Amino acid sequence: MADGLKLGDRIFSSRLLLGTGKFSSTDAMIRAVRASGAELVTVALRRFHPGRPVDDVLAPLAAIEGLTLVPNTSGARDAGEAVRAAQLGRELCGSPFVKLEIHPNPHHLLPDPIETYEAAKILVGEGFLVLPYMPADPVLARRLEDLGCAAVMPLGAAIGSGQGLTTMSMLKLIIRDASVPVIVDAGLRSPSDAALTMEIGGDAVLVNSAIAAAENPELMASAFAAAVRAGRDAWKAGLMPQSDVAVATSPLTGFLAGGEAG
Amino acid sequence: MDLVVNGEAYRHDGQATIADLLRECHAEAGRTAVMVNGDVLRKGSFETVRLSDGDHVELIVIAAGG
Repeated sequence: MADGLKLGDRIFSSRLLLGTGKFSSTDAMIRAVRASGAELVTVALRRFHPGRPVDDVLAPLAAIEGLTLVPNTSGARDAGEAVRAAQLGRELCGSPFVKLEIHPNPHHLLPDPIETYEAAKILVGEGFLVLPYMPADPVLARRLEDLGCAAVMPLGAAIGSGQGLTTMSMLKLIIRDASVPVIVDAGLRSPSDAALTMEIGGDAVLVNSAIAAAENPELMASAFAAAVRAGRDAWKAGLMPQSDVAVATSPLTGFLAGGEAG
Repeated sequence: MDLVVNGEAYRHDGQATIADLLRECHAEAGRTAVMVNGDVLRKGSFETVRLSDGDHVELIVIAAGG
């Protein structure tokens, strides 16, 4: 694969990861996953309630060829809970990946950096391919990379907020220094947010709410996929240098004004 | 045997393995992960791990999530 996203020993052709939450129905979610071309999708864990129908997302996702499930640890308030959630997710999904997220405050859902670090240390030791959701902090990103995380996933803005890339300057620093993939997760609203992430050298984006809460999730998934490809191509192509003044694109020979440039 | 299953009191008569409990709860073993007293069980152990009085059991399934 010429331009694959390498996570641990696995290589993926799509640089768009999809979350499966908040869709109006399982059918809408499945159609969006297919339209997105995503090869990695996140799922959550919940208690089984006897007598209550199971929201069966596993079977239709398993029917999509080439899809890898990434269980998350959402709901974990500390490292111990996150490690247990990761172990449960591995049993359910049979996947070495875990989206490590520890956000104890339901108001802002911002990740706890200390607990995330502690959990990552344990999970890497247990052989997980850890994808930590984290504050956009270059120092923490380096520390998580040094632990052996397969990627770092700094936030663009608060989960589900649709505020876009509010952490842009920090994201640039993380991308500049990282030697594992940087997957920008959370807060994205529009495909242009995804394209911009890729244009600054981000390796991938993880999108959920922006697609699930769109009027037409399937079409929005397709739009995000196109934006990620365009942004990636733009980064590879190399953006032109910026200038504070105009730089003419046509010859300024001035023959129309008797020799004066115009 | 008195258990706590998913945070609620649960009465089970006689001895039981995890597999027995899953059948009794109509939970599909292939789609359910199990934690007993904070320890996550490997899937292959459901037929052999026996429950004891007072055990706290969590039955977990996959759900949609971001």
